[in-house]
Amino acid sequence: MRFLNALRDGVGFDILLVGAALLFLVALAGAPLVYNVLMSFQQVDMFTLGALFRPFVGFDNYVAVVRQPEFWLVTRNTLIFVFGSMTGQFVLGFALALFFAQNFPGAATIRGLFLVSWVMPGLVVGGIWSLILAGDYGVLNVILRSLGIIQANVFWKSDPAFSIWAVVIANIWLGLAFNMLLLSVGLAAIPRDLYEAAELDGANAFQRFWTITLPMMRPTIGAVLSLGLIGTLQQFDLFPALTEGGPANTSNVAGFWSWQLSFQLYDFAKGATVSVMMFLLVLFASVIYVRSTRHEVRG
Amino acid sequence: MSAEPQIELIGIDKYYGSFHALKDINLTIPKGQFVALVGPSGCGKSTLLRSLAGLENISGGTMKIAGALMNGVPPRKRDVAMVFQSYALYPHMTVEQNLTYSLRLKGVPKEEMRRATEEVARTIGLDNLLHRYPRELSGGQRQRVAMGRAIIRHPKAFLFDEPLSNLDAALRVHMRKEIRALHDRLGATSVYVTHDQIEAMTMADHVVVMRDGVIEQQGSPLDLYDRPATRFVAGFIGSPAMNFIPARIGPDGASTVFDRPDIRSLPIGKKLDPGREVIVGLRPEHIAVGAADGAGMTLKVAVVESTGSLTYLTTEEPLQLTIVMTGRTELAPGDAVQVSVPSAHVHIFDAETERAL
Repeated sequence: MRFLNALRDGVGFDILLVGAALLFLVALAGAPLVYNVLMSFQQVDMFTLGALFRPFVGFDNYVAVVRQPEFWLVTRNTLIFVFGSMTGQFVLGFALALFFAQNFPGAATIRGLFLVSWVMPGLVVGGIWSLILAGDYGVLNVILRSLGIIQANVFWKSDPAFSIWAVVIANIWLGLAFNMLLLSVGLAAIPRDLYEAAELDGANAFQRFWTITLPMMRPTIGAVLSLGLIGTLQQFDLFPALTEGGPANTSNVAGFWSWQLSFQLYDFAKGATVSVMMFLLVLFASVIYVRSTRHEVRG
Repeated sequence: MSAEPQIELIGIDKYYGSFHALKDINLTIPKGQFVALVGPSGCGKSTLLRSLAGLENISGGTMKIAGALMNGVPPRKRDVAMVFQSYALYPHMTVEQNLTYSLRLKGVPKEEMRRATEEVARTIGLDNLLHRYPRELSGGQRQRVAMGRAIIRHPKAFLFDEPLSNLDAALRVHMRKEIRALHDRLGATSVYVTHDQIEAMTMADHVVVMRDGVIEQQGSPLDLYDRPATRFVAGFIGSPAMNFIPARIGPDGASTVFDRPDIRSLPIGKKLDPGREVIVGLRPEHIAVGAADGAGMTLKVAVVESTGSLTYLTTEEPLQLTIVMTGRTELAPGDAVQVSVPSAHVHIFDAETERAL
């Protein structure tokens, strides 16, 4: 009865709404996270798989992961993958956003079509890029050869020097539309008369970009980069579709490695440990992002 | 006031697609003059101002600022400053950074910049706000920063695009005087766009009334009030608006005949073709109530509105007129009043062309 009364006059209803959302968050994100962290400090084997409290081993799992022969290779690949993808997505996405912010016939329509890449499942994108990047019949090699950039075919997916870049290229394409869209929204939010005022104040196009566009875009850029980091670290679909981390781990990254450790080698403790390391990285980046927006200026 | 023209517009045309936004605009603004462009929304006044700034490209004609041809010159090379309706302050910069933006782009030395900032801040009363952000300022303060940003550059001309329309009424009256005083002090040349005829009348040396992309009439404020060239200008300038009554010139050619027999004819003080269809214009403040000379007509009062110093009367059929009286009145709705208009204050417009006769 009291609950119904509360519903009727709204008192406590807000708590109910927040409570439902929090419950959802705790059950589906909080608990697995805590369980994952817990598991990285435990000895997990076939006999303790079903238990919650297993033998505590301290930092043994962390030491073991770092001592894995492929650890530094995977770390290097992860850094290349994250920074390569984010740089490519951001720079190309920003360029496209600026391009489509110009007023030309069909600008909005063509921009809309770019969203196709965002709607497509990663596995499909991986499949398509797998064909494009194929060494002996791939279309990319044909184009590069006819342009005279390369003489012989590049085996993108199986050449250890290129395999990680094959995934980076596909991932840039996959995340490009999302970056462009968010940055387009940010650009559209800048009042036109600021540009006009700057133009009258004597700023040329380059100066307007540096002194008006970039500072006004700061919150958007921060959000795009943080989301980009999270999205890139979470990227999974492209790896099974393109290289499966190979050859010889030359295109393996932390996320895929963690999955391999857990679900192919059934070494759940190490898999959990790798994902906790990734979590710390994202946490670090998020803290920097939140701190940078704390003093941000809104018009 | 020197007579050398600071801004010259000769035969300016502007098309948006097939829409003819500005039609053969001719306007010469001497150095040091304050010119108001006034008219209803969509009349082309803002387009004309933005064309002067270079934010719009003109389709034809010649535009000169300080003797130099401006056709096709980008805004940043025109050396004109504009105060926007929205103020367009840079939200991510402090007041000081907003003021010095143009100087920083020009690479003015720090010391000189500091002196200029101090001077401008003192002129417009922003001394203690220099380190605030625009979002921390009131509407009036933002307005001042926008002005300061224009002043600091010593531009060849100031362009104002309805700068006061976002302020409340009291502040608007105050800023009106301040802008005009600033203009005089700086010896600037200003072009001021407004839809408010009172602003135009009180601030400007020269008022340009626009309508549908055409200059209807230009002249000194009182000139426009006393001798409106068209019915539109007559109705636009002056508040409350002029009364218009359709009529015909009487057989004597010196008075009007109204279509209704119960309205008496009105002497017009000039000779016109008998029988010509005209519109009679009477300013509310020129209609005398309680005329003694017997030439007036008797009308019934419908509404009485008093502001204390002025009283507005509205009369009933057969002739609905707005009348302004100074002071107060004992009149009440339903009362009969004697009204008359001196012939010198009767405006006659051609019924077809609506031009003054």
